[in-house]
Amino acid sequence: MLLPYGLDIVESCLTCKMRAEHIFCDLPASALQAFENIKYATAYPKGAVLFVEGQAPRGIFVLCKGRVKLSICATDGKTLIVKIAEPGEVLGLSASVSGKPYELTAETIDPCQVNFVKREDFLRFLKDHSDACFKVAEQLSEKYNNACHEVRSLGLSHSAGEKLAKLLLEWSSKNGEATKQEPRLKLALTHEEIAQMIGTSRETVTRLFADFKKRQIVQAKGSTLVIRNKAALKIMATSS
Amino acid sequence: MASVLEASCRECVLRSGRLFCDLPAEALEAFDGIKTVALFPRASALFREGNVANGVFVICQGRIKLSLSSESGKRLTLKIAEPGEVLGLSAALSGTPYEATAEALEDATVACVKRRDLVRFLRDHREAYLRVVHLLSGDLHTAYSRVCSVGLGRRRRLPAPRIH
Repeated sequence: MLLPYGLDIVESCLTCKMRAEHIFCDLPASALQAFENIKYATAYPKGAVLFVEGQAPRGIFVLCKGRVKLSICATDGKTLIVKIAEPGEVLGLSASVSGKPYELTAETIDPCQVNFVKREDFLRFLKDHSDACFKVAEQLSEKYNNACHEVRSLGLSHSAGEKLAKLLLEWSSKNGEATKQEPRLKLALTHEEIAQMIGTSRETVTRLFADFKKRQIVQAKGSTLVIRNKAALKIMATSS
Repeated sequence: MASVLEASCRECVLRSGRLFCDLPAEALEAFDGIKTVALFPRASALFREGNVANGVFVICQGRIKLSLSSESGKRLTLKIAEPGEVLGLSAALSGTPYEATAEALEDATVACVKRRDLVRFLRDHREAYLRVVHLLSGDLHTAYSRVCSVGLGRRRRLPAPRIH
């Protein structure tokens, strides 16, 4: 069988096996059936733009598979990556609820399956299903916490080195590597993208990585990064 | 104390135009039953960052400053909340610690609701729940524009219309 972008598209939410792990998707049967009737299952290639900051909200995008980069752009073209969204996340949620323009730009970094729901349909769905309201509130709260975290790390860090150390520690605490002495992490982003995550330039990130390697704090093995000296990173992250 | 404030939300003259406060009569009555009105003098804290979220705070009068702090104690103002706003919502709903510190900038009157009561109230009143979702969306918008101004060093402006 030929699959679009090599993705195994799940057409129906009712039979979806990933549902239990995704916060928003794990709805009771009646709500799920109603959701099934209003959603459109779509596939996007890598590098597709789902919506652009400033656009009037069309609706929400439930990310089923793949990852999506969420960014903010300044008038001079500088970009800041706010978050890399993982499967199970709902994108464009707050804009669709409030009717304000999308506050971020969403661009796929893998081939993605996305379930789209039109704004009017979604608002009606929320009115009829209070369980869904609960899930939406939960998602919004999580996004809010994340945004506060972002403001804190961007606004209260002294140097780019401090921010990069924080980012590496954060990544290494995921994927069950947290307890290991020398956690390894897969660098799925380019130096340019890392720079946009911590609000600095590509050159600075490359320079910092070279510096970290020279001081034996990290070691690169292909696209995998091994953190050799976690204690040193921690000191850098709190040196303000 | 200003005389415009009533013990009951139903008689409150400030209510209209405030998203959360302007509830249907029946929901308002239920809300009256679970809230306690408290006075916070200037510079006192409603809650602190990292504390367990045990309730939400609806501002009746006065302005409240929300700030974030780093491990070293540096502080950054997230926003100044105006009357009618509900503070601590996201933390109370998700059961996570408060993400910011809230301090009164002037003498403030605040309606406090315990987390457990709020969850039960929202379950019973769908209308209120929809409004809470709206409020959370608004909070998120301000947080993102703060991310933008802090991270990119400038306020976000609307893109200029394209000329062809």
